[in-house]
Amino acid sequence: MSPHDPETQMTDPPTDPATAAGETGQSTAQPPGRDGAATTAAATGRRITLDSLSAFYGDSAAVRAVSLEFPPNEVTAIIGPSGCGKSTMVRCINRMHEEIPRARAEGKVLLDDLDVYEDGVDVVAVRRAVGMVFQKPNPFPTMSIFDNVASGPRLSGARGGDLRDRVERTLRGAGLWEEVKDRMDQPGLGLSGGQQQRLCIARTLAVEPKVILMDEPCSALDPVATLKIEELIAELKQRYTIVVVTHNMQQAGRVADTTAFMLDGELVEHGATDRIFTNPGDSRTEDYVSGKFG
Amino acid sequence: MTETRARFHEALRGLEDQALGGLDLVVATIDRTLEALKHQDVELASMVIADDDRIDGRYLEVHQGILSLLATEAPVATDLRVVAALLHVIGHIERMGDQCVNIAKLIPLSGHEPPTDEQLIERIERMGACVRSEVGQAKQAFALRDAGLAQDLVRQDAEINALNREIFAMALEIGDDADRREWAAYMMLVARALERIGDNAVDIGEQTAFVVTGLFREFSDASRVG
Repeated sequence: MSPHDPETQMTDPPTDPATAAGETGQSTAQPPGRDGAATTAAATGRRITLDSLSAFYGDSAAVRAVSLEFPPNEVTAIIGPSGCGKSTMVRCINRMHEEIPRARAEGKVLLDDLDVYEDGVDVVAVRRAVGMVFQKPNPFPTMSIFDNVASGPRLSGARGGDLRDRVERTLRGAGLWEEVKDRMDQPGLGLSGGQQQRLCIARTLAVEPKVILMDEPCSALDPVATLKIEELIAELKQRYTIVVVTHNMQQAGRVADTTAFMLDGELVEHGATDRIFTNPGDSRTEDYVSGKFG
Repeated sequence: MTETRARFHEALRGLEDQALGGLDLVVATIDRTLEALKHQDVELASMVIADDDRIDGRYLEVHQGILSLLATEAPVATDLRVVAALLHVIGHIERMGDQCVNIAKLIPLSGHEPPTDEQLIERIERMGACVRSEVGQAKQAFALRDAGLAQDLVRQDAEINALNREIFAMALEIGDDADRREWAAYMMLVARALERIGDNAVDIGEQTAFVVTGLFREFSDASRVG
């Protein structure tokens, strides 16, 4: 994602508010990995702010006026029973929600200072800045391990040795390089479930996002693969803003700095994970985390 | 609203009943200890010592149960606070049992018909009654999640501490007779053991407040004279 690439001008939000106001019309932000990549500690995530965000499927509200902040370089877990709106809320952050027929969102989603729902914002570039990892590992089925990771950077013009370096760096960043370096030309689908999920994380990292959204990233994985992903999340937060939707409350306890509890589309409570799991402030949170309903 | 962890909550309630039942064992042991002390009943004192195995056994059962719940159920929120508190409570129960043993072991040492002092004995008995009441109240406060009742243990404990100081002063002034001085020294140790049981009861009260409020604080500053 080059600062001079017209495609990214609206979407790589400037760190300088004056620039955000359109003084130059170009981003001054430094994308991650420019000088050594997604795997170095130089880059940091960006702040996501939800301001009275509501999301609808037709007339039905799935998310109701949620205001919430995801600080850079922190992991925020979203917990709540099925159907509470947590996945919908997260999908609004990178404008995936609107891909569903009759689905729409109201309110603001700010990536630093940029409202991603502003007119003229390049949706593709938003999704590049806000990567997403899904519940079920979904490597491109016809592609090799190499091509799964290389596909995104290729679209940005990376080629040859530069591309190979980037794939290696990204796979190292996803903790997968040592396991796949000798079989890069083999299909991604030939990997184990946990490796496939890390391949998908690598694919997300390859386009150098600022924020990573993870929607139940471990629900299809065995415990060992799950712990590897959790370790990876702890490493990735040094460089990215991470939002994890999870049904696994122990996972939230292990990986998240803060945890938000949603119920019936509303944000009930958000706070330090330790507090949410030892002394929640709202009786509905207490009832949910201690299994009194679900 | 559907209870989704019914078996876990049933197990937790069972564990709490088992732990608080330990306080009933302590009350019964205090009764026997005071009875043995009053009548210089060495046989009863021996029984107190032997029966401490029951309290120790209860400690081991509850401790193991807590470890199992932590390992298998990963309790959170109030459940987690209850589990953590029970771990402390059962430790205090075990210590209370040991203090009764300490008193019981003194009974044969003080002789068959030791020279006694009515006023000092009266205070030991009063102290014993207070301690007994305090232990019962600690149980009730925990079971009812009553932070006010737990806090009230401090008031009772102040009375026990005052009696302990009185007994100490009386023992110092008991006179020059060697047998009486020896007996009075044993009574100081008895009073000290009872005072420690009172402290354990207050500690259980603090755990009650932790379960209720989510915040741990000492009811009284142990570094202060009180």
